[in-house]
Amino acid sequence: MKTDGAERPNMAVSIGRLVLKNPVITASGTFGYGEEFAPYLDLDRLGGMVIKGISEKPRMGNPSPRIVETPSGLLNAIGLENVGVDAFITEKAPFLETLDTTVIANIFGESVDEYARVAGKLTGVKCVDALEVNISCPNVKRGGMDIGADPEQAAEVTRAVRQATNLPVIVKLTPNVTDITAVARRVEAAGADALSLINTLRGMSVDIYTARPRLANVTGGLSGPAIRPLAVLMVWETVQAVSIPVIGMGGIMNACDALEFLIAGARAIEVGTANFVNPAAVLDIIDGIERHLGDACVDDINDIIGTLDCRRK
Amino acid sequence: MEQTQKRETGIVRSNRETARGHYVIEVELPGLFGVVCPGQFVMFRPGTGETPLLSRPFSVCSQTETGETTRIELLYRVVGAGTARMALLRQGDTVNVLGPLGRGFDMDEGRRVILVAGGVGVAPLIFYAGLRRAREEDSGRVRIVAYVGAADEESIVGVERLEPHCDEVKIATDDGSRGFRGTVTELFRNDVKYYEKKAVVVRACGPRAMLSALADVLDGQGIACQVSMEERMACGIGACLGCAVKVRLGDGSVGYRRVCKEGPVFDMEDIDWHEN
Repeated sequence: MKTDGAERPNMAVSIGRLVLKNPVITASGTFGYGEEFAPYLDLDRLGGMVIKGISEKPRMGNPSPRIVETPSGLLNAIGLENVGVDAFITEKAPFLETLDTTVIANIFGESVDEYARVAGKLTGVKCVDALEVNISCPNVKRGGMDIGADPEQAAEVTRAVRQATNLPVIVKLTPNVTDITAVARRVEAAGADALSLINTLRGMSVDIYTARPRLANVTGGLSGPAIRPLAVLMVWETVQAVSIPVIGMGGIMNACDALEFLIAGARAIEVGTANFVNPAAVLDIIDGIERHLGDACVDDINDIIGTLDCRRK
Repeated sequence: MEQTQKRETGIVRSNRETARGHYVIEVELPGLFGVVCPGQFVMFRPGTGETPLLSRPFSVCSQTETGETTRIELLYRVVGAGTARMALLRQGDTVNVLGPLGRGFDMDEGRRVILVAGGVGVAPLIFYAGLRRAREEDSGRVRIVAYVGAADEESIVGVERLEPHCDEVKIATDDGSRGFRGTVTELFRNDVKYYEKKAVVVRACGPRAMLSALADVLDGQGIACQVSMEERMACGIGACLGCAVKVRLGDGSVGYRRVCKEGPVFDMEDIDWHEN
């Protein structure tokens, strides 16, 4: 267990049969198709990368303004703008194939069938190592959060995607529910290999001088440090409720934040809003986690995961 | 053109109020920082911490190479928490600067140039005018006329910076406290008939309402115009898709483009001025 300080700690983690070189993944919708960040960091250092949500047809997205900053947070209503699965495969995948990191495609559909069709099309695409199923977007009229908030529909989409692909299936859950573990258990039973949480919290901001909402979409999804304590709680609750791996996210800005999730039981973490603040934020987080392990004389990241001790002193 | 983009730590050299609520901040950056084209912008963040959380985009107003380092100036108006925090920066403070970003103005078009600026929108046009003038040896004499708009006399910015580069600077204020009484686009509308259409290009930056009114003035005039657009953005590098602006596509349909990547400078006729 103890290291002599000479060797670097093991940072590799596994999410089911998916092995990541470290537990730090960039979150969907905050890292484009990867290529946007290539000038700023060595993408091969990432544990993984989740691509912007992909739907069957291209989506135009919502009118502007689409984003507004709120206290320690970012409220967004992008509306899942994306190039569509066919253009992703022909235009975006070739760059991703050149990378030595785990690429996870985030998929979205307005119906159960659309999820399955997108999953089917991405299966066999060389660069795609796993699918993250977005049943939790708060900013679209059909699909998204409506599905993720209903355990029955969440399970149905999970089953359909499971049948359409042999890739590892990660289902991304919404925090906009009374009991996230109820959805988590149903999704697990429906065949998910892993869960990722949390997506954004629904939110709203008002311009008091114009008496108008600050987002054209009126409501949006809140991310950033403002939501972190709630995210840690939901990850901790979910880890205890299911036996499949959980990927934690929500307002992770630095290595300390990431370690909170790992100690609470997340097997890996996703970094979102922080990528907007500093395009190389994930490298600082990877290095910071490694340094923490060294300082604590722990030679394997897996010895940190789920070590939360809730006993009374 | 290959251009390096970096996120650098800069040092504030000065930060002073030049008109009511309007500031110019000068930041010193490592010499590796790329050469900025007028119309390009940087993502600027004062210090660390979570308030403000995100960087803010600013068009670059000037760039001066000083051997080991490069200095850029940004012109800004205090409008919210981010810019209020920015106004508190003092000489010697460190800041984060990401850039240069986006598409700038085409620099070699037109022998006669009209600049139309609203408020802090004057910033990239000061840069543009200075560089056009500096390149005259290669390009030949350029005639530059600037139209500058503000709410009132106390809020006028950039005129003294434009004057050395411009043959004429015309001013409009909403309340008539200086120059023409009315909007800058109304002032320009009165003059547009006197310009020789083919020889003239327009470069404009300002609030969307101003640019939209300018699009009206130029409608059917056959004058080439590039506008620098503004939208809220989180990343500045094309990932967040927050800064969408609606454009007309070749096939008659509409779509969104990113102000940070395909812009901030667009050809005026490409923008769908009817809605965001």
